[in-house]
Amino acid sequence: MSAVTPLQNGDTVLLPERIADLTGLGEFGVAGELLAAFLGAFVIANLMMAMTGVAGPWAKRKITAAFTDRIAVNHLGPAGIFIIVADAVRLLSKENIIPENADRPAYDLAPIVIAGSALLGFAVIPMGSGIHLADPEVGLVFVFAVAGIASIGLVMAGYASGNKYSMLGGLRAVAQNVAYEIPLVVTGMSVVLFAGSLQMGTIVEAQAQPLVDLGVVSIPSWYALVNPFAFVLFLIANFAEVGRNPFDMPEAPAELIAGYQTEYSSVYFVLVYLGEFLHIFLGGAIIATIFLGGPAGPGPAELGIVWFLLKIWAVFLLTQWLRSAIPRVRIDQLIEIGWKGLLVLSFANLALTAAIVGVIA
Amino acid sequence: MSTGTESMPEDATDRVDELADLLGSRALTREDHVNAPGFVVNPGDVQDVLFDLREKAGYDHCSCVTAQQYEDRFETIYHLKKYADPTDEVSIVVPTPLDEPVSQSAEPVYRTADWHEREAYDLVGIEYEDHPDLRRILLPETWQGHPLSASYDQEKPQVVTLSEHANPLEPDHEDPESDTMFLNVGPHHPATHGVLHVKTVLDGETIAHIEPDIGYLHRCEEQMCQQGTYRHQIMPYPDRWDYVSSGLLNEWAYARAIEDLAEIEVPEYAQIIRTLGSELCRIASHMLALGTFALDVYGEFTATFMYTFRDRELVQDILEDLTGQRMMFNYFRVGGVAWDLPEPREEFFEQTRDFLDELPAKVAEYNDLITTNEIFQTRCIDTGVLEPDVAKDYGCTGPVARGSGVDYDLRRDDPYGYYENLEWDVVTRDGCDNYARVLCRMEEVEESAKIVEQCLDVLEGWPEDDREVQANVPRTLKPDADAEVYRAVEAAKGELGIYIRSDGTDKPGRFKIRSPCFSNLQALEEMSQGEYIPDLIASLGSLDIVLGEVDR
Repeated sequence: MSAVTPLQNGDTVLLPERIADLTGLGEFGVAGELLAAFLGAFVIANLMMAMTGVAGPWAKRKITAAFTDRIAVNHLGPAGIFIIVADAVRLLSKENIIPENADRPAYDLAPIVIAGSALLGFAVIPMGSGIHLADPEVGLVFVFAVAGIASIGLVMAGYASGNKYSMLGGLRAVAQNVAYEIPLVVTGMSVVLFAGSLQMGTIVEAQAQPLVDLGVVSIPSWYALVNPFAFVLFLIANFAEVGRNPFDMPEAPAELIAGYQTEYSSVYFVLVYLGEFLHIFLGGAIIATIFLGGPAGPGPAELGIVWFLLKIWAVFLLTQWLRSAIPRVRIDQLIEIGWKGLLVLSFANLALTAAIVGVIA
Repeated sequence: MSTGTESMPEDATDRVDELADLLGSRALTREDHVNAPGFVVNPGDVQDVLFDLREKAGYDHCSCVTAQQYEDRFETIYHLKKYADPTDEVSIVVPTPLDEPVSQSAEPVYRTADWHEREAYDLVGIEYEDHPDLRRILLPETWQGHPLSASYDQEKPQVVTLSEHANPLEPDHEDPESDTMFLNVGPHHPATHGVLHVKTVLDGETIAHIEPDIGYLHRCEEQMCQQGTYRHQIMPYPDRWDYVSSGLLNEWAYARAIEDLAEIEVPEYAQIIRTLGSELCRIASHMLALGTFALDVYGEFTATFMYTFRDRELVQDILEDLTGQRMMFNYFRVGGVAWDLPEPREEFFEQTRDFLDELPAKVAEYNDLITTNEIFQTRCIDTGVLEPDVAKDYGCTGPVARGSGVDYDLRRDDPYGYYENLEWDVVTRDGCDNYARVLCRMEEVEESAKIVEQCLDVLEGWPEDDREVQANVPRTLKPDADAEVYRAVEAAKGELGIYIRSDGTDKPGRFKIRSPCFSNLQALEEMSQGEYIPDLIASLGSLDIVLGEVDR
């Protein structure tokens, strides 16, 4: 296996530049570049939302059904795939019921904030095959920062719905995100120690170096292999971050009806759900990028996007698996695990990594 | 008022005499119910008498409180038992005059009397002095009259409009002085297992106070039974009390009561079939309890729920072959069962044995999935704690009591059917928590499988010319007037008791259902006080209530 990345040092071509070149927009100066950037963002946002569209109404049902010994959707099209169309029509044509006590416009903005924050994160993710919107030097920090905006959306949704269950769900979501964002970022930083850069492109590139050369195959130095401990920590913290079992407290349907999204219907419901799935995918994208070599995989570099999406879906599959198999912890236990367990472990991991890197360097 | 005196064994007579001595002049007269001796006491002596009976004579189980109206008086009957020996029963009969139906409350002696007396007040109209909270329990607050009292006009419809109902969102729940939050859990909530409304006061995520509000599924089951004839018209109703696949167990409760009242001897062959069917129902019911509990603790995508339903389906198929119905069996008859095992018998035996053979592997799978899971254990161990004394005080029975180490199972302690002749164990657990109750049910499934297997063995070897499925029962049953009986069986959720008073006609004068869920649910407040919301949900799930049986 030879890890190939399209982002070779020096000749990194980002998607907006490529679009500008292809369409000749570059000749129109800043306005042209802006339009090209917008087009690039449009492409990536739509790619991600299309994935959510597949995941929400169809893949999730099929995956859960496989875990729970059922068949799930199978009437429309092969393996029921056209349920996506039917569901889209259904969801969009439903009445949007807005509660009397809703605090607008916070109530209306929350779904957009939740979905938008996740979409923003994809801007700095190198997805291979030249699909990379921007590669700022602070890439990793940027991803964490914009993903963290979702917390505001959650608390807005919880508070503005005027429903006690929403309120409890919103509070839980914030408590959970605060408790798990720190271990998440600290564990992410241990990767930075290895790569020596916050830039996503550089982090991916650093993982292309062979870790062990076994003659025929060379195992790349993906950070999941270099530091499995950090990888596991990051995975766990990520499940809490996206609110999936065993940490799906903010929604916890058996307890809080649907938590912060209780009062959302129709298009708003779709947006909130879309946001959740986007966050799962963003979580998968971050994991793929900083631990699994990004778009690296066997075959030509053009296949990068395929490998990258496969890695995202693998993380998605894992979340669904856990949903079917693992109980949810209680909110106090969750906070305890976060502050007393993961936080300590993630700092220990950081110190350990620093020591190792220091010794080797 | 007293008939049905049978020649009692000598030690029983001694026991009654001892009780008479204990009560002394407080016992006005004696009554003899078919199941137990009864003592008539003054409404003002109730607490005194019950306290003595509990403390000095050891009657620690107030199984049921029946209220009824005669032509000349109201009457409250406290059916007392011992957890150690449920065959040692005594009934305390408290008559109150028609114009002033006021009696002392038994609540200070037995906590469980709280809800029972509220129900008596609600349906019959007897008032209880010293009761902490004498409100209606099954009917809406706005209801006029007491439906089971003689003066009530059954023909007059009462429509209570939505606007007249108590509004659970009323601002009086908001207390500006306090830091707590009032939250309605239900009546429409994913975790209430039916239409239950729990008024919850939260302090952050902690439960400060809860109050279950029941009655949303009240369908006048007692009265419907009072309007049906003993012979055929009552038997379909029990299926609809605990309607999640424990129908045969419920039917047995009625069958046992009426058979004792009318002195009907059930053929042994029919008893074996009854035992077989009932234990299959228990397996199905416990599977469902396990699955829904998993829903509460795991979330709605859990595989466990579907697995338990997959396995329950197999039991449903067997029961369908046996009874012709999947849920509303109506299979028992007074004096036996409706028909023999389905032909070809070999096929039925094989199908049932196949299920039993696969069961151990499935139970092992559940243990892998659920009980050995560390997160599950941290969620369930030491949450929803119900101490044995508290359980007894609330009249808890079934897996709820046995999970608290109360060794009480009517199948063994008050034998009926064919249980005496079979080898099986009563499962108890000392954990007193949600985990213990879940384990208790899982192990009971295995014990039930043992019983079913032995029943199959016996049935297979049963001589072909002796397959009598029904006793010879008169077309019209008219038990002696004023004969009274209270009989209970071990249903899936606990002690399901039926009180019948005959008035000499072919329909019961009073038909009272003692629902195990009703008593068990009362303990929820005690169990969830000071715990977190998720614990409340888990505790509610581990109580395994069916609202159809709570509300009747």
